[in-house]
Amino acid sequence: MHSYFGKLQKTSRSVSLLLVMIGCLLLGSRAAHAQGNYEIQVYGADTVPPKNLMVELHSNYTASGQTKTIDGVYPTNHQEHETLELTQGINNWAEVGFYVFTSEQDGHGVQWVGDHIRPRIRAPDRWHLPVGLSLSTEVGYQRAVYSPDTWTWEIRPIVDKTLERWYFAFNPALERTWHGPDVKQGLGFSPAVKVSYDFTRQISGGLEYYADYGRIGSFDSLQGQQQQIFAVTDLNVSPKWEINIGVGMGSTAATDHLIVKGILGRRFDWGRKSAVE
Amino acid sequence: MREGEPQSVEIRNLTRDSEVVHWHGLYLPPDIDGAMEEGTPMIAPGASTRYTMTPRPEGFRWYHTHTFAGKNLTKAQYGGLHGLLLIEAHDNPAAYDREVFLGLHDWNGQFLSSDDGYMNPVYDVATINGKMLGSGDPVKVKQGEHAIMHILNSSPTEVHWISFSGHSFKVVALDGNPVAQAQTVSMLRLAPAERVSAIVEMNNPGVWILGEVRKHIQASGMGVVIEYANSSGKPVWTQPEDLVWNYRQFAAAGDAAQLQDAKTIELVFDSKFQGHGNEELWRINGLGYPQNSESEHAFLLQTGQRYRLVMKNKSMDDHPIHLHRHTFEIRRLEDGAEITGVRKDVVLVHAGGTVEVEFVADNPGKTLFHCHQQDHMDRGFMMVFRYA
Repeated sequence: MHSYFGKLQKTSRSVSLLLVMIGCLLLGSRAAHAQGNYEIQVYGADTVPPKNLMVELHSNYTASGQTKTIDGVYPTNHQEHETLELTQGINNWAEVGFYVFTSEQDGHGVQWVGDHIRPRIRAPDRWHLPVGLSLSTEVGYQRAVYSPDTWTWEIRPIVDKTLERWYFAFNPALERTWHGPDVKQGLGFSPAVKVSYDFTRQISGGLEYYADYGRIGSFDSLQGQQQQIFAVTDLNVSPKWEINIGVGMGSTAATDHLIVKGILGRRFDWGRKSAVE
Repeated sequence: MREGEPQSVEIRNLTRDSEVVHWHGLYLPPDIDGAMEEGTPMIAPGASTRYTMTPRPEGFRWYHTHTFAGKNLTKAQYGGLHGLLLIEAHDNPAAYDREVFLGLHDWNGQFLSSDDGYMNPVYDVATINGKMLGSGDPVKVKQGEHAIMHILNSSPTEVHWISFSGHSFKVVALDGNPVAQAQTVSMLRLAPAERVSAIVEMNNPGVWILGEVRKHIQASGMGVVIEYANSSGKPVWTQPEDLVWNYRQFAAAGDAAQLQDAKTIELVFDSKFQGHGNEELWRINGLGYPQNSESEHAFLLQTGQRYRLVMKNKSMDDHPIHLHRHTFEIRRLEDGAEITGVRKDVVLVHAGGTVEVEFVADNPGKTLFHCHQQDHMDRGFMMVFRYA
């Protein structure tokens, strides 16, 4: 999933960028948004099983991003973000995720950035739907030096489908600021898409697309939008492990231009006491 | 049916699909055994046919559809076209007071990706004799009776574990064939198409549950109430904590030296990945059906010859392996030494394991060999032995 809060540091960046976007700002459109890059992941519809804990480490490095401090928000360039995600399965259709965001950068050291909580439900298997269907909501706080919008909320429908060797996932997320400069900006639209192909049982590869189009009803201009494509590979080495590696390119002025990401996850089945369970 | 007494069976196909009925565990000729791979004619929708057979061997058998389901989990074995069949010996001493027939089945399945990355059917409903626990009439028994329970797992794909709270099972036959050593056990394991015949001493009056040991499957409905005469109250279930079963416990005591005249046929089971959203293609010795049964690959059996099938399961799934028209004897299990005295027509070969069985080629004609999981059969896990 795409973390919402990271966008504002880049929002400011986009403002400085311009002056290019002055027109948009004058027209009162929602400020341009950059990609959040604390957790870069397109969600699948499945949830963590009950009595299972998924521990994930998201490591994202911005190789080429904003280089200036703007409105007190640190630049993204050469920031290393480490995000710890803990997801606990509640039952066979619900889970709760919890995030700890951190950032490391020359001159700023290792910093705690914020925390989010993310409950998620999905359509149970017994509905026999032709696609996977899930709904996630995420709320959390982040420090102002990383995001002037300190309290944010997101709701994320999730649709996915596995078709022979192909996998498709679509996350049309809606985001809103609860506290911060963008509190009156309304709902923003931030879709994410994943398409991948199973080369072997263990190795899949594909593309992930992340975007932030701006406020619904008044999208930002193209250069003010965030558009990012990652080439990714998933390594399915074990049902207990999750490994995802990718390189992303930003294609608009408002987007970080080069990000390297990795996800390492381990599932712990702490509830299983015997085979009869 | 009576063993050895000629019998006519009329089959009317009232479905909308061509059908065929397999007589599981019987020694029938290929044209009526009930597998199109052996040459049994299919029965067209609306058509009737009549089989004349001499049923043998005696024991607990069954009959079922033997067609293709593919991705439609309402067809073939998923749809429940099956029945129980007892071939009675003329001299059955009947060391019991009551016969109870129980059929286990799973319903309303869908393909889901499992933890191991394989697509497998997952079911919403599990039943005994077509009823979910609490829905059907209880099985009524009397104190002091000895009941023989003939239990069939007709599930298209699932292994089941069965326990009878407050009681134990004295297993006397597997797949209808008497075992070398009858053993008293606390639970039964039945792979798809397996049968267990066990005598239960009704010595604990009350209202009890006989059902699936694994909680989530019993919660899906797999259970039946066993009620003693003059007893009432809420049915009692005592939850076992482990799953315990081994074919070996029913084998003959003592050493089981390898018979020297058995010819070895090695069969390696594996699968070919087709994507996480697709079922595997299953292979025997590197080829799926029908390629593995074409003349250049098929095994030719000599009438009267004894064969040892060395089955190596290189896949990550367990497979209930069935041989048509013959009975085999388990000779070696995954866990060690040779055994004798366990004669069956289905044996579960665990993932990564090797099981060896022997049979005598004494029933000429095409003989189908396959995994009894419907989804595996549908994806190539079959092979036809031919007689020279």
